[in-house]
Amino acid sequence: MFNIPVHLALGHEAISEAVAAAMRSDDKLLCSHRNIHYQLSRGASLFEILEEFKLSDKGLAKGKGGSMNLTNPQGSIVYTSSILGNNLCVGVGVALSKRIKQEEGVVFVVTGDGAMEEGAFYEAIENSRNMDLPLIIVVENNNWSLASRIEDRRKSIYLDQLTSSLGARYTFLEGNNPIQYYREIVAVRDRVNLQKIPEVLEVRLNTLGGWMLQTEDFPDGKYVNYHAGLSPKVSLGNGPVLNYDESDPVYLIKDSLGECEFERLSESTRHFFSDYLTA
Amino acid sequence: MKYVSYLNELFRDEISKLDEFVLYGQNVSTGSCLGGLTRGLQRINGCNVFNTPNTENTLVGIGFGLMLGGTPSAFFMKQQDFLLLGIDHLRNTNNFIRQQAPSTSFTIVNITMDAGYEGIQSSLNNLPDFCAIASCEGYTISSKLEARSIIGQCFAKPGFRIISVSQRLFGTEILDFEAHISQADDFVMKYHQGADVTIACFNFSLPQGEKLCDQLSQLGVEASLYSITAAHPVIYKSIVEDAKKTGRLVIIDDSKCYTSVSNLLEIEMLRAGVSAICNIKRKMTEQSYRPLSEEFNVDVNDVVQQLNLLN
Repeated sequence: MFNIPVHLALGHEAISEAVAAAMRSDDKLLCSHRNIHYQLSRGASLFEILEEFKLSDKGLAKGKGGSMNLTNPQGSIVYTSSILGNNLCVGVGVALSKRIKQEEGVVFVVTGDGAMEEGAFYEAIENSRNMDLPLIIVVENNNWSLASRIEDRRKSIYLDQLTSSLGARYTFLEGNNPIQYYREIVAVRDRVNLQKIPEVLEVRLNTLGGWMLQTEDFPDGKYVNYHAGLSPKVSLGNGPVLNYDESDPVYLIKDSLGECEFERLSESTRHFFSDYLTA
Repeated sequence: MKYVSYLNELFRDEISKLDEFVLYGQNVSTGSCLGGLTRGLQRINGCNVFNTPNTENTLVGIGFGLMLGGTPSAFFMKQQDFLLLGIDHLRNTNNFIRQQAPSTSFTIVNITMDAGYEGIQSSLNNLPDFCAIASCEGYTISSKLEARSIIGQCFAKPGFRIISVSQRLFGTEILDFEAHISQADDFVMKYHQGADVTIACFNFSLPQGEKLCDQLSQLGVEASLYSITAAHPVIYKSIVEDAKKTGRLVIIDDSKCYTSVSNLLEIEMLRAGVSAICNIKRKMTEQSYRPLSEEFNVDVNDVVQQLNLLN
């Protein structure tokens, strides 16, 4: 269906919804290659996104952005990059422009536990602190970089100590509760906007949709996460809940919405896909 | 006037015209201010100067981010070598920005360390290579005319480009050909008209070309003298036309590019039927990977012999 690579963000919904809701009209958002959740949270429709993935002129960026470099200025998503750490540097520039023009608002840059290993992460905090910029770096820590877990590739990085050593602030979120995330992010956003001290917001989450691949090479099965490139077969009857526990923000939101409203929304999404695929 | 003082004066003039301009880089407002290149620019009204830490990758990205925010800027860089650390942005971020039709400018001004003895990691002289990777405009400045043309027309123009200046020329009187000059094609300067041979100078080789032109004149050989100031895009039309008339071409290129843009001119001339071509470049040998004087000399006798100019 798509010629372009697609990066899903199942399990990342709580943080994207909370960031999107906490953003004010003057705020800007810069994302990574995995940006579909922020696109949806910032108002893009599923139809526009799927059309974009098909590189159609009905797409969100009229088929010019694809998935990994998709932006949506109307939703204040001004830049996305498929290069790890790249958007951090650009985000510092966008925040500096705000300072020079004396504009209100903050700049959110989304990165991950893989990209924070790049030198650009350190450099972005250093420069934004030196220039007193309203920058919030959201680290989506899903413990994966491609097919490597953190423990497969490095020792622990203590982000609280790293950011503190550079004079920046640090906040940690976990639990996948979007309401709680929203409240915390609003506080972070207002603090950064007022004091112009950059802040790193680390959120622990799980990228869902992993599955057991069974081949001749792996007769007992091999765990495959989305980063490995393969995706599981799904049917429209599944979802949107993938895990019936706290690892899945969609499962958690059921309590807030109530069973009826949740089922109504789920059914409407299933219908959309059904109609879209048969159109 | 010294080369560096003249550049500084022109940068001051251009920055003075701009609102909310950002000038940044390492040592741009301390010490020698990059050998005098940025001296005094921090006192211009409306110019926001940031003396930055040593974070070249991020500094290149910041310029593109400023463009996204609608703020014009220039990153002044002590050595062209440092630009290697920002190459992701030169290529990848620039690929994104160019599609947005930016309304503001981002210019990187770097110093090519061609004065000698800097060693193997501080003597990069490869502007065309950066322009090739980034698919961006790039310019070198060797004379007053080139400085006025490039800084005046390009420094604050919407979009991104790299301007490279020569450390070797910093302390020298800036070349001034006011009596003879004309602009041939875009960013191709013609400094002398002659009927016997055409000289095309690339990168920072105009001083060598001028000297060769004088030496040939003393031998009774009159040369047309051109300087190609753009590393990309390069338009050769006027040089090709002139060389077709003289029937002989000298190409001088003091860069260190293996696949230099000057080779393209040679190919174009061969297609046009001019085969008397003397292509003078730096010879990269094992010796080249040691601290060297970086001197680049053109031997008039070699040129005369290769092109059979006295017969």
